[in-house]
Amino acid sequence: MSAALPVPVIQFLQVVTIAAAAPGVSGVIARVEARLQGRTGPRVLQLYYDLAKLLRKEALAPEGASWVFLAAPLAAATCYLTVPLLIPVLTSYGLPLGYMGDILGGGFILSLASFVVAVAALETGSPYAQLGASRAKTFAAITEPVVLFVVFTVALVTGTDLPYALAATVRSSAGQIVRPAHLLAAAALFMVILYETGRIPVETHTGTNEFGMIEEARPFEHSGPYLALLKWGSAMKQLILYTILLNVFVAPWGLAATPQAGAVALAIVALAAKAAALGTVVAIIDNSFAKLRLFKITEFVAGAFLLAVLGVFTLYLGGG
Amino acid sequence: MLAIIVILLGAPVAAALVSLRAPLAVAQAVTAATGALCFALVLALVPAASHHDLGYLSYLRIDAVSVVFLLATSFLYAAVAVYSVGYLPRDSRSPGFTRYYRRFYAGLNLFAWSMLAAPMMSSLALLWIAIEVTTVISALLVAIADTDGAAEAAWKYVLIASAGLGLALLATIFAYYAGAQVLGEHYNLAFGPLLHAGARLPHAPVRLAFGLAVLGFGTKMGLFPVHTWLPDAHSEAPTPVSALLSGSLLAVSFYAILRYYQVAVAALGPRFPRDVLLVFGVASLLLAALYLLDQRDYKRLLAYSSVEHMGILAIGVSFGAPIALAGVLLHVLAHAAAKGNAFMGAGVLVRKFGSKRISAVRGGLDLLPWSGPLFLLAVFALSAMPPFGIFRSEFEIVQGGFAASSDAGAAVLIVLVTLAFLGLSAAANRMLFMPADADAAARYSRGEPSAWMVVPVAAGIVVLLVLGVHPPAELTGLLTRAAALLGRVA
Amino acid sequence: MAAVAAPSVFAGAANVISVGVLLAEFGMFRQALLRDQVRLYAAQSGLISVLAIVVAAARHLPELYVLAALSAGLKLVIVPLVLRRLLRGAGEASPGEGWSDIAGTGALSLASTVLLAIGVAAFGFFSIGALGIRSPVLPLTALAISVSVALVAFVLMIMRRDVASQAIGFLSLENGISLTALVVAAGLPLILEVAFLFDLLVVVVVFGLLIRVHHGRAESLSTADLTSLRG
Repeated sequence: MSAALPVPVIQFLQVVTIAAAAPGVSGVIARVEARLQGRTGPRVLQLYYDLAKLLRKEALAPEGASWVFLAAPLAAATCYLTVPLLIPVLTSYGLPLGYMGDILGGGFILSLASFVVAVAALETGSPYAQLGASRAKTFAAITEPVVLFVVFTVALVTGTDLPYALAATVRSSAGQIVRPAHLLAAAALFMVILYETGRIPVETHTGTNEFGMIEEARPFEHSGPYLALLKWGSAMKQLILYTILLNVFVAPWGLAATPQAGAVALAIVALAAKAAALGTVVAIIDNSFAKLRLFKITEFVAGAFLLAVLGVFTLYLGGG
Repeated sequence: MLAIIVILLGAPVAAALVSLRAPLAVAQAVTAATGALCFALVLALVPAASHHDLGYLSYLRIDAVSVVFLLATSFLYAAVAVYSVGYLPRDSRSPGFTRYYRRFYAGLNLFAWSMLAAPMMSSLALLWIAIEVTTVISALLVAIADTDGAAEAAWKYVLIASAGLGLALLATIFAYYAGAQVLGEHYNLAFGPLLHAGARLPHAPVRLAFGLAVLGFGTKMGLFPVHTWLPDAHSEAPTPVSALLSGSLLAVSFYAILRYYQVAVAALGPRFPRDVLLVFGVASLLLAALYLLDQRDYKRLLAYSSVEHMGILAIGVSFGAPIALAGVLLHVLAHAAAKGNAFMGAGVLVRKFGSKRISAVRGGLDLLPWSGPLFLLAVFALSAMPPFGIFRSEFEIVQGGFAASSDAGAAVLIVLVTLAFLGLSAAANRMLFMPADADAAARYSRGEPSAWMVVPVAAGIVVLLVLGVHPPAELTGLLTRAAALLGRVA
Repeated sequence: MAAVAAPSVFAGAANVISVGVLLAEFGMFRQALLRDQVRLYAAQSGLISVLAIVVAAARHLPELYVLAALSAGLKLVIVPLVLRRLLRGAGEASPGEGWSDIAGTGALSLASTVLLAIGVAAFGFFSIGALGIRSPVLPLTALAISVSVALVAFVLMIMRRDVASQAIGFLSLENGISLTALVVAAGLPLILEVAFLFDLLVVVVVFGLLIRVHHGRAESLSTADLTSLRG
């Protein structure tokens, strides 16, 4: 009979799970992708070693960069550590701090993190960093409304803004999975995730194709511990977005319904497994499609926008 | 009666089949005979339809309104069949000519058949199918001439008209929905029961169906803004086909709108349907009148004149008074005759002067001792000059406008028709009265290209005079009954 | 704000298939190759047949099975075959044209066209929602989607610059209308359904002839030259 964990411990575990598992998920994706290509690939824990190595290195800043350049990685990491408090990571019921912000608030905090990193990149004066930052914000003009429409879908379906409520609704009956609004919102969110995490068909995650870089170019000028924070931050962002997609839309099962330690441990394992599965899907997509040319990325995000808008329309008419 | 109808439906098909195989003279003779036969048969239907509605085989339903449109079509069928004897060169030796005339005559007969069948259909679904058939056949006929312009015109026509008929199909579906609410799920879109159940039909679907029907069938009728295919198709088609297109096909599409109008008035009351028709009618009339002032091609000129007259028809129906409706139906007949004449005359001009441009035609009255004056008379008739039939019909429409207190509408009608008259007569003036300069006079000999091309036009002028001066009593009875059927509000 | 109730499994499935049809319509904007457009059209027709079968099974309307089979045979097999033969013919006459051809570029860029089409589809959705027409067999969303498919097909036809794409756009318009008929009139006697198939057959014949005529004259499928008749 496992002991019931106190609520603050569970909330702390939420943040720790995301923070600790994030590099692992990236490692899984890299490994699976390499395997699909017939190579052995890096070890799954490689990113942890990379972060440890970077923490030991010297940090440099370009001339003319101000305190924003140094503060940005810290601010971004802080945001990424805050969001797991708001979304259903481990439990299927809302935790007290989870009411700090609804799903809209979570979306805004993620945007804030992206914004400060972009500002820091613009500050550096390096052409590639500025290129990446400006491109990221240009496409964000379309992807941010997509996220909003996805949020509206959640709101229309459940009548609340809380991701926990949507997860509960989805778990409640088979009919919920079959709703077109649900499927459309999930598809739109997945396309936004591909964009935000810098995967095919938006960007090549591996290698340094400078002219195509969007996400990858922004941390170009950071080094040492700051670079470690930024890499870790983007891995956390990836896992957070996966968590939202999985635990709210696609597969909201395996979450702890009670504060028993055993249930929570099971939830951690379930989350890791689901994230790994989604990562495998992303790796397969990586290997199956070609990167889109830059000006065609607008078509891609317009497609995501279309799906999100249609999801809201079908709901608006009732029953979608 | 049933025998008449069966022959009406069967004879053109038989003629088409014959034309596919027979030599040219036989095909021409058979087509002309079939045309005359059909006209005579429709005349025989007039007395019966003036008193009651006829229905046979549960697919056919003929009332006074149908017979009016049948008259328009069958008259032009006969006239055009005779005209084409002169239009097609008898002794052409060019290699594709056999295929050309076979396809031409088969198409002509089938086209006339489909336009005769449409007003006789009892169900809205069959009506739509018939009009779709007319679109297909006429598109193929427009493309039959092997020129760039014809290919372009036929493509535009088929695309726009088919899209419009798609909207009309949506209208049919919503009309089914409305009817099914009252008459049960197995309602087969029969027109009679729908009209009877008019007051009980739900409003929203009927409104939607009427709007879509006006837009969809209006595409084939030539209402603004979906008329854009009309000038191209009517000017690029061979002349007999243009005459049938302008004179009959537009009218048959108008017939479809009239049926939806009847249902809409029965269900929604007269206000909404009349307003819709008024808007489209005035817009079409305005556009046509303006374009008529600046034309370079005289067949295109006549095509815009068709748009003008279709606008007048829509405005006439929107007035709603019984005399306006009678005027509208008379206008259908008179316009068929006049437009057919005008196109046939234009065909003679094309044959004589070798060009469709107004600037290329000079001294028509001198060089064409018969067709010149006849063309002039046709243009006068189109411009609503007395004593021709169109003057009488437009007078009745305007009278109906004042009777229904739509003074503004009637005034707009008069002004725009005058504007159109200016456009038409300016072009006709240039073509017919201005003397040809010396070398042109030397190039063209004086004389008619063919007597076959003169006789139908003369017959048409006689018909217009009869309609204008003293329509026969049976015809007036038919028109009165048809107007009463259309005007039934309760 | 009150929660929107979940639909039944049947309604949800029907809505999903209808949304698939609409997405296929939007997908046609993206397709550059004519053969991809034809395949997408076949996929769209297949979805409609599937929906007809679903409705037939759930609402016990055996005629719909026959209809679904007929329309699947026509639209999935015959029409793409005819179109392929036409376009191959065009491709042989002038190399670089026809089946493997890139469709002509439209007036607006793709993203702008999609946004315009979204606006048009929104208009269709909300106007149907305001009309209060209730179908006996399918949920309201399916009716709104079917009207939106028709409207978006109009946008497609307007934006396209070559003859074959306009023809395929028109065929997808017919798909939208047949979806509307399925929603509104599923209990209808066969006459209206026959009207569709007839219409489609006839359209393919005419379009085929005209594409051939046009191509024979202009040696290209582009409509950029169809500008001589003006005024």
